[in-house]
Amino acid sequence: MNNPRDLIRFNVGGKIFQTTSTTLANAGRSSFFGALFDDNWNLNSNSDDPIFIDRNPDCFGVLLDLLRTGELCIPPHLPEKLLFREAYFYGLSDHVRCARWGPFDGNRLRLTSSVSGRAPGDGTAIRAGPDGGCCVAHGCIVHVYDWTLEDHPPLQLDYQIVNDVGWLDSHNVVVSACERLGRGDCGMGLFNAVDGELRHRFHVLHDSQVKSFTAGALGFDSNQHKIFASCKGRSNEYGIGVWDQMTGHQLDFFYEPLGWSLGDADRLQWLPGSNCLLVATLFPRKDHCYISLLDFRAPKSMVWAWSDAHVGGMMEDQKRVRDAIAMEETSSMCVVNEFEDLGFMDLRSSGATSIRWSSRSRLIMKGKHDKMAEDEPCYPKLGFHNGQLFSSMNDSISVFSGPEWVLTSRLRCAYGGPICDFSIGGGRLFALHSEENVFDVWEAPPCALALKATQPERGICLIVGAEKQ
Amino acid sequence: MSNQKKKTFHIEAFKHRVVVDPKYADKTWKILEHAIHEIYNHNASGLSFEELYRNAYNMVLHKYGEKLYSGLVTTMSAHLREISKSIEAAQGGSFLEELNRKWADHNKALQMIRDILMYMDRTFVPSTHKTPVYELGLNLWRDYVIRSSNIQTRLLNTLLELILRERTGEVINRGLMRNIIKMLMDLGSSVYQEDFEKPFLEVSANFYQAESQRFIECCDCGDYLKKAERRLNEEIERVSHYLNPTSEKKITTVVEREMIADHMLRLVHMENSGLVNMLLDDKYEDLGRLYNLFCRVDNGLSTIRDVMTSHIRETGKQLVTDPERVKDPVEFVQRLLDEKDKYDKIISLAFNNDKTFQNALNSSFEFFINLNPRSPEYISLFVDDKLRKGLKGVSEDDVEVVLDKVMMLFRYLQEKDVFEKYYKQHLAKRLLSGKTVSDDAERSLIVKLKTECGYQFTSKLEGMFTDMKTSQDTVQGFYASHGAELGDAPSLVVHVLTTGSWPTQPSVPCNLPAELSALCEKFRSYYLGTHTGRRLSWQTNMGTADIKATFGKGQKHELNVSTYQMCVLMLFNNADQLSYKEIEQATEIPATELKRCLQSLACVKGKNVLRKEPMSKDIDENDTFLFNDKFTSKFFKVKIGTVVAQKESEPEKQETRQRVEEDRKPQIEAAIVRIMKSRRVLDHNNIVTEVTKQLQSRFLPNPVEIKKRIESLIEREFLERDIADRKSAETHEERKNAAAKRVLTTV
Repeated sequence: MNNPRDLIRFNVGGKIFQTTSTTLANAGRSSFFGALFDDNWNLNSNSDDPIFIDRNPDCFGVLLDLLRTGELCIPPHLPEKLLFREAYFYGLSDHVRCARWGPFDGNRLRLTSSVSGRAPGDGTAIRAGPDGGCCVAHGCIVHVYDWTLEDHPPLQLDYQIVNDVGWLDSHNVVVSACERLGRGDCGMGLFNAVDGELRHRFHVLHDSQVKSFTAGALGFDSNQHKIFASCKGRSNEYGIGVWDQMTGHQLDFFYEPLGWSLGDADRLQWLPGSNCLLVATLFPRKDHCYISLLDFRAPKSMVWAWSDAHVGGMMEDQKRVRDAIAMEETSSMCVVNEFEDLGFMDLRSSGATSIRWSSRSRLIMKGKHDKMAEDEPCYPKLGFHNGQLFSSMNDSISVFSGPEWVLTSRLRCAYGGPICDFSIGGGRLFALHSEENVFDVWEAPPCALALKATQPERGICLIVGAEKQ
Repeated sequence: MSNQKKKTFHIEAFKHRVVVDPKYADKTWKILEHAIHEIYNHNASGLSFEELYRNAYNMVLHKYGEKLYSGLVTTMSAHLREISKSIEAAQGGSFLEELNRKWADHNKALQMIRDILMYMDRTFVPSTHKTPVYELGLNLWRDYVIRSSNIQTRLLNTLLELILRERTGEVINRGLMRNIIKMLMDLGSSVYQEDFEKPFLEVSANFYQAESQRFIECCDCGDYLKKAERRLNEEIERVSHYLNPTSEKKITTVVEREMIADHMLRLVHMENSGLVNMLLDDKYEDLGRLYNLFCRVDNGLSTIRDVMTSHIRETGKQLVTDPERVKDPVEFVQRLLDEKDKYDKIISLAFNNDKTFQNALNSSFEFFINLNPRSPEYISLFVDDKLRKGLKGVSEDDVEVVLDKVMMLFRYLQEKDVFEKYYKQHLAKRLLSGKTVSDDAERSLIVKLKTECGYQFTSKLEGMFTDMKTSQDTVQGFYASHGAELGDAPSLVVHVLTTGSWPTQPSVPCNLPAELSALCEKFRSYYLGTHTGRRLSWQTNMGTADIKATFGKGQKHELNVSTYQMCVLMLFNNADQLSYKEIEQATEIPATELKRCLQSLACVKGKNVLRKEPMSKDIDENDTFLFNDKFTSKFFKVKIGTVVAQKESEPEKQETRQRVEEDRKPQIEAAIVRIMKSRRVLDHNNIVTEVTKQLQSRFLPNPVEIKKRIESLIEREFLERDIADRKSAETHEERKNAAAKRVLTTV
């Protein structure tokens, strides 16, 4: 450290900073500092003058501290926006993002911000992007936010009602929308998330003729670069369409079998381990629930199916399945009813199995449920991330962990009304409220990486005793 | 709320006014353009990175990204056009060097430009789906330099010419080559493939086509292979030095095709140096090279294998059918073993112990060994020879080696039952005459036969050993109980042989001398006394005797003779001269045996304890025999061998053959009944196949014989012909079990 060559002095906007090239090396080659000290730019190192940078000194100080410690401490007076802009300038935005929040854990989440939207009416869907951004569908508009929660130009597909959205990657968003009556257009489009430009419009061919359709739920197979969407055509062309992400061409179409529902699906989920697509059509879109797994490899087949269509009677009515999610790790399917009862089904048996309802969660909800139910109902939604199960009900999200799915955390926000959708991705959980058009951002606190790396053996151990039940 | 909005609006407007200096973008771009020029002119030391970075940042921030990007494309294109011209101007050998230098310059410049435009690369480029700066630089280099009309073909020709020069033995600048090839790879695998690899492979194919043609005209096979191998290694080395590793497979395929695959047959069949000659001369190195090269091409190994197989079959056939060779069985088998050793060595040294080659070798041996119907006999004779004398003083491990080799030949035999027959005969002789060298070796071979062919095959052979052991005990018991009363009578050793275990020969008992017949009577009564219900008959034709004789000058000798010879000699205790008729009358030895025995006593030089009148080689019925008191020998013990045919004579052979055929009949019948018992109904052809399959471990049954056996079984009502289908035979339900039992007991 005493080597004078290692010492570097900056003059940033008139303020002198002194640091070492070791610290600056943390910025990486593809940053302002990496280039600045490259041999190509033979910096006049012999001169005693500090290197002048015509930028904001306060932000520089924070960012320099980030490089030194790996932690981000933003002083209260410094607007985040300003800091993010400076980070972009220096090419340190990835560093800032990584230091902002820690690895996702449903039991460590804290509410970091609430963003109010501009669109009128209820939100339809919120989807987390791969690097911390999100997009929100409201009516016929999709608002896109990057990880700094800065909004980008909104997306629209002929201003038709948007049914679902999804991220292909950090730059591309797919939007599925209703058919534009009388025009034979619309359906599904691929947008640039940054500038909101429509880049591709997906078509459906039936008997090699382009037909207009309404696209519903979306699903993505990122390994084989496929996009799935539930489709409703004009003349009973219902089913699941498959497109190639690279070319945008339609690859396949799974027609809806008689007495089943695919084209109206509420949720599609690609299961990479079993090479299947989960298609769930749920009450109240249809009178009955239809949940199936489709195998698109030739010959296309429905490899697993469950429906409550044959179960009549008032008793069962209470337990209408309102959402379903497959968990490949445990080869099971989780469903939820309007009382937030979780139910489980085995995916390994090819035939339909019965739901094993777990009543534990229901007990906790019992008291609250009566008050909220009179308002506009928000149906429960399910989410699954890294071994943790999430279920939204009214204004809160419950987190269930462990093999027995024990309720371990509950996320609740004071205002905004019931949660109509939530999504997990890019290390964040986004919850969209239906009334006030607000979405909440939940993050796990960052862990001090530098500390962990240097003192691994001095970690703190907590011994937790669990009572046997 | 509205106040707030108003305020922000004002600020934005204010900002706007500052930025919208109409010349702002042009001015900033001029600075950056100038910097790019300076960078290309190696004049970057005066530039401030911070300032340039900030300027580029501001341009993007103020939505002039498009201008910045297109300006970059224009400026860089202009520079590359200049560079392209200077490379074109380079003369001769300096062309590649100039290209390499300019490429290094461009790379460095590109790196610096990318640094300046980093912010544009990160924000503007991805959002507008443009090519990032570095890739843009590579693409422009490709289009303006590498694929410019004046450079593209010149570059390719230069590279190909350098490689050709290296192939013809010149030393070229490999470092430069590597840099240029690496440049092509950096520009994308398609550039490397299209602009270099494809033409390179074509040119190489032509080169090697011509070269292989030239070589094959003037080289012998071994030399050609050496050259091909060297070329192959050269190409592999070339790839490792300056080509893309993915080219290795492609270029070796070219060399393999041009130098090997296209000339395969010609090489293998090359006169005086082809595969057959290599095999004859044991050229392991050449054969190994041939194998390694041919295994790289399709059908290469099968070509070698086919030629080798037909060669082995041809030479093997000559070997087993050559009447000269057949004269000496031991030599015959030794030749087979040598042949096998030779090829085993070739396969292990040159052919990588390839399983398919071993199989080909085995099937070839199986093919030709069975061409000679006497092979089983000869192999047994070989063993006999080895076990009689061949293994004296040889270590146990070596014995095992020899026996294992014999077993290997045995495995090739189709008529294993014939071998068994002969082996039994030979073993019996060895055991009875006490000639066997090593009991362990004998037993070891039997164990091997047992593992090879099963218990059934060796049970009788083992029975023979048991007999030997019990006989020893019996004789001991005999002397223990009768020793005292016997006094100084001749000592008697009796081998009690179980009927059936031993090869039976019709025995004609001869008249034993009085002392002996009395002794034998005593033994008989002792034996029958200890074992009730048995019958004992004397096999005098198989015995031996040691007798002491005193000759004219008083020298004493111990004569080792057969029982028959002993009988004859004992007669001369009471007479000096006896005629053939008298001897025959006194001993009642069968005429053929007697002649043989007299011949060995009177006509073998050095062992003629008798004299014959008149002197001649052959025994006549009118001859007279005298005691030869002038007999001398430097040994005290004299072994008088019987003149026995080592090899079977033709009629004996026929007889053995007949016995084998006779023995096969019940085996075939047993097999048929076993099969029919489980199948109930089966047509004729399938019966034949099944029977052949069941019996092939012992012998290869003749289909005609199987047919006869089926007919015989039908005749005896064990089987029944299906009336509906004349071709199939059917077992008769009720008789099935009885039939099976009866037939099986005859085995």
